[in-house]
Amino acid sequence: MERRVVITAESAITPIGHGKKNIFSNLVNGVSGVKNIKKEDDLLAKYLHSKVFGIIDYEIAYDFSRKFTKTLGPVSYYACQVAKEVIEQADLDQELLSSGRVGIAFGSTHGSPTVQRNIYEAFFDPERKGYARINATDYLKSMAHTTAVNITRMFGITGRVIASCTACTTGSQSIGYGYEAIKYGLQDAMICGAADEYDTTTIAVFDNLLACSTAYNDRPHMTPRPFDVKRDGLVVGEGAGAVLLEEYEHARRRGATILAEVVGFSCSNNGGDLILPNADGVKRTIRMGLENARLNPGDVGFISAHATSTKVGDIVEAQAIHAEYGEGPLVTGLKSYIGHTMSSCGVIETIFTLYMLQEGVIVPTLNLEEIDPRCNMIQHVTSMKEMDVSIASIQNFAFGGVNTSLFIKKWI
Amino acid sequence: MTREEIIDKILELLKDEFEIVNPDLDDNLTEKYEFDSIDAIALLEYVEDFIASPLTQEEKKQAMEIRSINHICDFIEDVLKKRK
Repeated sequence: MERRVVITAESAITPIGHGKKNIFSNLVNGVSGVKNIKKEDDLLAKYLHSKVFGIIDYEIAYDFSRKFTKTLGPVSYYACQVAKEVIEQADLDQELLSSGRVGIAFGSTHGSPTVQRNIYEAFFDPERKGYARINATDYLKSMAHTTAVNITRMFGITGRVIASCTACTTGSQSIGYGYEAIKYGLQDAMICGAADEYDTTTIAVFDNLLACSTAYNDRPHMTPRPFDVKRDGLVVGEGAGAVLLEEYEHARRRGATILAEVVGFSCSNNGGDLILPNADGVKRTIRMGLENARLNPGDVGFISAHATSTKVGDIVEAQAIHAEYGEGPLVTGLKSYIGHTMSSCGVIETIFTLYMLQEGVIVPTLNLEEIDPRCNMIQHVTSMKEMDVSIASIQNFAFGGVNTSLFIKKWI
Repeated sequence: MTREEIIDKILELLKDEFEIVNPDLDDNLTEKYEFDSIDAIALLEYVEDFIASPLTQEEKKQAMEIRSINHICDFIEDVLKKRK
């Protein structure tokens, strides 16, 4: 038996704001959340060639008691806040949250790197005095599944736990696996999302691969530039997002406000290289997603491309979209507004796409001034379009050769 | 170090680090204040700083049975005696 799955709440903390009103305003006004990296970071900042980052530079009013904060690293503060907001928005009561029928699918790239650095200090202390300070709290704050289980602890969630940590496909896998858990009757609702905190380790990884943007350090808002002829690499960012997925009848019986429907998901691996973009893998994932959603390529009106702004990645993605969809759907690279928020990019881009479906507006790829001829076979959005799109796809790809394709439908 | 000095220090720690204010010395910290195993481990780190001596694994295991402030004080007094 297959059941319909709908989105009944959303929340995002992003470099262009927190909450729909703030975020959507910045999207339609073309505001970039990319800034210079924090100068006071004395760890790696001075060695990096890339000096730009999608930064959350505003205060977030957390209201968590010490009982819960003692196991939260920075990444879990973000995660618990967006989870709290979707629970409140959807008006989920404690009885339901603790019924075993509500689960969590939430991840991060690698837990909390800030807390992990504190742990590693013991390794470099010749007398190992810090050894005794490596304790359970540090582990709970920094472990790979820290976001998922801190959310379950804070809100008394007793259903299944899925804690993907597949880098840039973490958030999209969370939604996809949450969707499958409800679709096949294993759960009635799932809180799905991902979060990543400010961290220069990730920049260093891409910087050393020559994949980070370096030419716009003096004009951060001009990068990243998906599909643009002058793009010079990705910009790492931080952020978090969560959506509440719910079985349709369950949502209807509760009187919940339905925001959109999740109609399909696919995930596959390239089965080979762990880094290089792979057109066959992307094309296969799109085909699998369309089949799963029971859609024809012509049904899809908008694609949120992964589009990290790397030289090769954008070309491969544009060609794959063209091969499977032709010139039909509009395509925007939403990382142009916020940088690459790593694990959370899939869920944040899904939420941005949801806003556009709701408001009847498709925003352009920021900084796309001259389309690279090698990416020019698809319908890029270069200026804001007011139009009614029914079905959208969100594409994400990750180190390790992981590809995902998610399909959502406007709720009318 | 007198019993009173130990009590004052523990009360200060519980207030500043664990948000436990004006507890009774015989209150069961777990039942009344949700003081859990994570808190207990953290408290032992502060105790090590307080007595300026690392605790042995055996002493830490014993400390896991502690439930009240009076028990904590008894534990610290015993440890200090052993260190003399």
